[in-house]
Amino acid sequence: MHEDAPVLDRSVIAELRESVGDDDAFIADLVATYLAESADHLAAMDAAATAGDAAAIMRPAHTLKSSSAALGALRLAAIARDIEMAGRATDAADLPARVADARATWAETLREMAAAGLTK
Amino acid sequence: MSDLALIVDDSAVNRQLLARHLASIGIDAREAVDGRAALAVLAEPDNDVGVVLLDVVMPDMDGYETLAAIKSDDALRHLPVIMISGIDELDSVVRCIQLGATDYLPKPFNPTILAARVHASLADKRMRDLEVAHAAEQAALLQTIELQKEELSRFLSPQVAALVSSPEGQLLLAGHRREATAVFCDLRGFTAFSDSAEPEEVLGMLREYHSKMGELIVRYEGTLEHFAGDGLMVFFNDPVPQPDHVERAVRMAVAMREMFAGLAARWARLGFELGFGVGIACGYATLGRIGFEGRYDYGMVGTAVILASRLSSAAAADQILLNPRAHAAVEELVDTEPVGALQLKGFARAVEAVNVLALKAAAAATTS
Repeated sequence: MHEDAPVLDRSVIAELRESVGDDDAFIADLVATYLAESADHLAAMDAAATAGDAAAIMRPAHTLKSSSAALGALRLAAIARDIEMAGRATDAADLPARVADARATWAETLREMAAAGLTK
Repeated sequence: MSDLALIVDDSAVNRQLLARHLASIGIDAREAVDGRAALAVLAEPDNDVGVVLLDVVMPDMDGYETLAAIKSDDALRHLPVIMISGIDELDSVVRCIQLGATDYLPKPFNPTILAARVHASLADKRMRDLEVAHAAEQAALLQTIELQKEELSRFLSPQVAALVSSPEGQLLLAGHRREATAVFCDLRGFTAFSDSAEPEEVLGMLREYHSKMGELIVRYEGTLEHFAGDGLMVFFNDPVPQPDHVERAVRMAVAMREMFAGLAARWARLGFELGFGVGIACGYATLGRIGFEGRYDYGMVGTAVILASRLSSAAAADQILLNPRAHAAVEELVDTEPVGALQLKGFARAVEAVNVLALKAAAAATTS
């Protein structure tokens, strides 16, 4: 079902760009912040999944969901949201597989962002 | 000036984006990565934060705890807090509003909604700050007035201090004639004492004497015209009318004489021999504002004043001399002895003065 959501929704990016007055330098900065931050969150999620710690995965997943959605990375946002909910339900069983899915989608997101000319 | 927003969100992307949107509507922002960092900013004195944008889910200290901490702090309680919330978190927003949050901001951020909510919160905050500042100004003003009255009553008698702050006081200040009783007191042997004693001893002794006598002047509601070294002048029946003005003057003088006996006994042990003399005269006088622009006294002018002063000079240690008019008013109250016809400077005719020995037993029993 995550496949329903686009990896990168360019309309979100377009709205974002418009809301900051077409300031491409700012968008590039914001994307750079996102890349660094999301890498940290994925690392934290990896560690929590490996440890089978459902509680510890909620917050990084929540934040990844939120910042991904802000930048139009809707598929990653959806995956992160499911991981957050699994964490809340203390369902640690398939966390490693879910996090692996998130990481693969993240890589895909970066490629699309680069293709859209969003990365520096 | 509280146009600073505090963004509290663990997502750097969200913070950066919010700060940018705020900057575009002229609002500077500070950022905090979680509740603890936010409270540290708010604890800074003069931090100028006028609105807090608060995320709900954060590590360490989340939005609920942060909101609760802000709302339970007297200094922060009125600071507007806008919750930042995803569309799937509206339940938590409701809870936050119940906890005292002002509003919420949905994600993804819409700059127009952000501007409207932040401006509304800042306007509320400014209004509230104005009210608080106004209340503080009012309180400060009242305090100043009270302080001035208090200061005034330290320099003037309490009656005159109250008078000058009342509307009818202005009329009385202009000057009027009425019967009044003047009391002069001074110390026998004071000049010799102040020549031989150290200045600190003289001042210390005067301070004690003035403070003890001052208490009695206030107790009998006399109007203190002045203290001058060892001398002091008090009058009665003005500005506040006192039907028993002579009685008050005599009772005060007797109380002063007793008070003085206590002080003198102690000073005597230090080797200083001082005596206390009083002159009291009743008569018509002019009362009101005396002096010049910048330095006025509320004073009493007339023959009775000069007579009381002369009687005080003529009094031996421990004597309280009354003029015949004053004597007539208190005959029933006090035991007196005649001191003969005194020839006083400035008075063509001799004055038949009496010395007050004591209050009669019945009068002493009613002493306040």
